[in-house]
Amino acid sequence: MKMTKLSVMALAAVAGFTTAATAETKVALVPGGPHPFFANWEGGGVDAVSDFGVAASDYRVPQEWKLDMQNKMLESLVSQGYNAFAVFPGDANGTNAMVSELKDFGAPTVSIAGCTQSPSPVEFCLATDVYKSAYMGTMALIEAMGDEGKIVHETSLLIDPNTQLRVAAVEQAIADAQADGKKVELYQHLTDVDDQEKADQKINALLAGKAHEFDGLVSTAWVASVVTSKALRASNNEDLKFIAIDHDKIVLDAIRDGVIQGTMLQNPHGQAYIATYALDKLLNGCSIKADAPFTPTPQHETFIDSGTMLVTKDNIGNWEAEMKAVTDEIMATFDEKFLDCAS
Amino acid sequence: MTATQLETDMSPPDRRGAAFKDMLSRLAKSAGLALVVGLLIFVFVNWADGFTGKFNLFNLTRNLSVAAVVGFGMMVVLALGHMNLALGSTALASVMIMGWVMKVAALPVPVAVGCGLAVGTFLGLINGWLIVKTKLHSFIITLATASMFLGAVLIVFRAGPISDLPREFTGISKTRYFGWVSGMLLITAVTGVVLGVMYKFTTLGRQMLATGANADAAELSGIPVNRAILIAHGLSGFLAALAGVMFTARQGSALLSTGEDWLLASFLAPLLGGTLLAGGYVSVLGAFLGAMLVGILQNGLVLIGVPDFWVEFVLGLTLLATVSLDRLREVISARRGN
Repeated sequence: MKMTKLSVMALAAVAGFTTAATAETKVALVPGGPHPFFANWEGGGVDAVSDFGVAASDYRVPQEWKLDMQNKMLESLVSQGYNAFAVFPGDANGTNAMVSELKDFGAPTVSIAGCTQSPSPVEFCLATDVYKSAYMGTMALIEAMGDEGKIVHETSLLIDPNTQLRVAAVEQAIADAQADGKKVELYQHLTDVDDQEKADQKINALLAGKAHEFDGLVSTAWVASVVTSKALRASNNEDLKFIAIDHDKIVLDAIRDGVIQGTMLQNPHGQAYIATYALDKLLNGCSIKADAPFTPTPQHETFIDSGTMLVTKDNIGNWEAEMKAVTDEIMATFDEKFLDCAS
Repeated sequence: MTATQLETDMSPPDRRGAAFKDMLSRLAKSAGLALVVGLLIFVFVNWADGFTGKFNLFNLTRNLSVAAVVGFGMMVVLALGHMNLALGSTALASVMIMGWVMKVAALPVPVAVGCGLAVGTFLGLINGWLIVKTKLHSFIITLATASMFLGAVLIVFRAGPISDLPREFTGISKTRYFGWVSGMLLITAVTGVVLGVMYKFTTLGRQMLATGANADAAELSGIPVNRAILIAHGLSGFLAALAGVMFTARQGSALLSTGEDWLLASFLAPLLGGTLLAGGYVSVLGAFLGAMLVGILQNGLVLIGVPDFWVEFVLGLTLLATVSLDRLREVISARRGN
């Protein structure tokens, strides 16, 4: 039996190795590397498999944040039979080369949670509108501060295009508030604090030495949100107001206990869920509409906002249902807006 | 005992007999390795779903082409009994400068690739020159220069990778023959043949092996040992840069992680292939087969569902077993009085 199989394989080798077409959709959800933000993709994939009858939508994490690690993993996943991909680009430009190879192989790819740089072979980018999220977060902080005071913005690396957008959004929110007569100003952009060690050092040093010089903080980085929530709880500093980002348990507990004022949620579950649905459709005869109403960003032309919302003490008991409603809203019109399944 | 040593100690008939025995031993070694590679292919063809897929084989041959050149880069200094721990950093410096020339200076692709290869060769020559001048072990020198090269690159290119390299360049990695053989394998094959010819038929190659077998004896025989060291390290730098260029073509970007995890692979390929850690003997075909074994093992293990960290463990174990077996062979050989 084995010999027969071997003979068939050998024949295929001589013939030039044809890849068997598969009717099943096997989606791989691949982040750029390990980060707690992406953990909710797994649930989104599981729910999509259950709701849409997709063969698989598996969360697979490269060992490290390196483009070559991610590329190797994607190559290996193709060999393992995955035929559609939702990836967080390891590099906004660099990932395009790998996606192009996947496309040549017949595997559609979408970028989720972060976008590739256009022009890009991805079908679309489904991610948080980071500008909108940072703007809303800053406005919420200004309100929590009583419309006056100095603001610290904690964010990721400046070379990250998303960071540039977040910086611009925070500055715009402050400018708009000032135009409305509110007495707010920017104290500092504290960058490169989405890494545990750097966040610990920079944020704790700032809070220990300069907390009296500003009145509120808005974070647009997961790790910074966690570190600041912990530091504020430890210091019992009720004068400082804080709007975090994402849904780490430490952040949510801090909101529940009144230590911090709120957090801007993203929608990782919905990103994986919607991406799996769309990839299945794309593998089964649909294509992206030529006139789909994407909302282009400076980085990416085929951008879809995956949703964002502010969670405060008032709605903390219900945030998951509210975020699911955001996903449902996108899903309700997804086919009509973005897919052409006529053929 | 190496072929070069034998030649200096024996009379002509003894020498011919020893050379014949040595040749048989080499052939047996390569044949044994080829057998293991064949066995692995058989196992994975039958038990690893997707192993014979077009996409998988293309990637396997593409990764193999880079890994083999990385192995050659270490092999040429192992021939001296030296090592080059700066192989990865040399590749990194070369590709970042190549990327800069290609993307920022916007010079033609061949010019940029030439610059990258020149940088690699130059850095290799620096290693060789430092070894010759200081008489320190290559381990210390290349450990130090590895940090220096890496540090310098991080200082200069702190803005991160150089992305979106021209298609004219990245296209090298997309070429395929028969639908599944990477075109980059051709570069590796040409490199291997050139190295094989150099060691087998040129004075320079023999001088390098003689230096590796016994540097003092080689010097007394009038061999320019220092020149051999300098050229071997320059060649190692060139091969590191070449591997870096191929790796970069595949990634589409000049990445700061280039060469970061090449160290184990660089030793594995030549040592599995029979190249001696002590110097004096190399096997180009063996290094290629060694790279093939590592590549197939990595690929196949992942496909049968072995987690990545176990793959790393198996590779480390393979190196340890290979070096131990080689040592055992030497001990047994010495006891028999050979």
